Amino acid sequence: MTATQAAPLTREAPAQAPRRHPGLGAALRFEVRKLRAQYRAWAVLLGAVLAPIPIVVIIHGQSRPPKDTLFGRFATDNGFALTLLVLGFATQWLLPLLTAIVAGDVFASEDQHGTWKTVLTRSTSRARIFWAKTLTAGGFAVLLLVLLAASTIVSSLLIVGSQPLIGLSGQTIAAGTALKLVTASWASTLAPTLGFTCLAILLSVWSRNPAVGIAAPVVLGMVMGLVGGLGGIEAIRSLLLTTPFEAWHGLLTQPRFTGPLVDGLLVCGAWSVLSLGAAFLMHRRRDITGG
Amino acid sequence: MRRTILVLVVALAAILGLGTAVIAVGGGASNVTRARLEKSLPTVFANTYVNQAHILGRHVTARSLHAKAMCDKHGPDVADVGPGGDWVCLMSWTDPQVPMPPEGYGKFELNVHSNDCFTAGGPSKLTGFLTITDTRGKEVTNPLFEFDGCFDPGADNTPTGVFFPSLFAVTSTTLTRDAKGGTSLKVNCGTGAHGCAGTVVASDGNVNLGSMPYRLKEESTGTLRLPARLPPGTKEVSFEVRPTTGAGPSGPATIPVERP
Repeated sequence: MTATQAAPLTREAPAQAPRRHPGLGAALRFEVRKLRAQYRAWAVLLGAVLAPIPIVVIIHGQSRPPKDTLFGRFATDNGFALTLLVLGFATQWLLPLLTAIVAGDVFASEDQHGTWKTVLTRSTSRARIFWAKTLTAGGFAVLLLVLLAASTIVSSLLIVGSQPLIGLSGQTIAAGTALKLVTASWASTLAPTLGFTCLAILLSVWSRNPAVGIAAPVVLGMVMGLVGGLGGIEAIRSLLLTTPFEAWHGLLTQPRFTGPLVDGLLVCGAWSVLSLGAAFLMHRRRDITGG
Repeated sequence: MRRTILVLVVALAAILGLGTAVIAVGGGASNVTRARLEKSLPTVFANTYVNQAHILGRHVTARSLHAKAMCDKHGPDVADVGPGGDWVCLMSWTDPQVPMPPEGYGKFELNVHSNDCFTAGGPSKLTGFLTITDTRGKEVTNPLFEFDGCFDPGADNTPTGVFFPSLFAVTSTTLTRDAKGGTSLKVNCGTGAHGCAGTVVASDGNVNLGSMPYRLKEESTGTLRLPARLPPGTKEVSFEVRPTTGAGPSGPATIPVERP
């Protein structure tokens, strides 16, 4: 896919900036253009919009509610509870997978197609290419989460209804407040999703293999989820990238607590900075003369 | 590809090693504590109780229930900290229409997860069965049968000071004569603060068959031996519990003697 895009790329570049070096904006435009040409990126976005609808319809039609997950016991007859049930499911491995489909591929696909020589001999720096690819992957993650959240919330409320929600302290939350809290809960998963995006970028740069870049973050996410579920090792639980995925619980209790949300932002920030830093160094020091 | 697999294996080993080191250094420090559960459970319970009362067409407020709980994880010899399905909470509340049993509390079983959320189920005598009938005569799910709650992992962790006595109970359903003509009684002591102690007085009609002192730790079982032989022809023996520590059954237990 990348190889087919190389031809129009060479035609455009000189026309745009004949004398000066193209900036980050130009590099970013190329990356977005490469992404737009990818069938799977469109498939993921389309899936994020369409898949929640049958899921909502199926859960709504169940006679026994899925009680094992939080909000599951109200999910068959409460739209807000159903969006939160889907959110709980999405954070287990879906969000890491969907963001990794682009982020895990964005560097490694150049290896797969053997196009690094072409890309890195353009008149733009390695740093600009790195940030352009990172911003593309990050932007895709944001877009993906927004579409998935909007589709889930809208379809749940239209199909199941917007009854008052029973919160995690047993309190009744009025529909208007519930909508805000549910939206905030989905928004709170942005930080860990972007953390997984950065982790996938690191794995993509390091492995030079799209399969590793896409699968390894999901596997790591599941391992972290498993470790976080074990008792007695809560010291590392707070350092895991999957823990912030559950920080939204505090928004639905009474009184609300935001400690885990703040901790989660710090943890995700640390994971993102470390992953991107390591990826940047690997990318900059990389020898492409061999292939 | 071989290099990739090798590095992946090394990375996994490193993660496991790091994890083990962290467990060795900071293990046991969990957010799931007795005090946090004792504060969270009554709040969640009271709100859910109000929801149930609303369905049943009654009016109660969470404040008027004065719910309070004492929690314990896995018996007296295990520290009351950490997630698990072995948490037991004793809870009392005030609702004139649903009086508490004589011991003054209901026993709730909790499954507490490491993400600081729990699922609690109470005694159906007090909280009702899976479905209840609402004011319009429709069968609906009973919110109190089983409910979820979450608590703040950073919440105040000072002890609540709520204690409930253990409940002593006679568990034998029949008495068997042994070779020497005596008999023994199986008893247990439930979850509670200080275990059970006192005496059990055995009698057959008006004939006193002797008394048996007992002392049991909470969440344990025991066997009490009748001090004297059972008189021949005894058909049943009634046991009256006189507790000095903990609570006992409200009336005497009458147990039939098995024919040889």
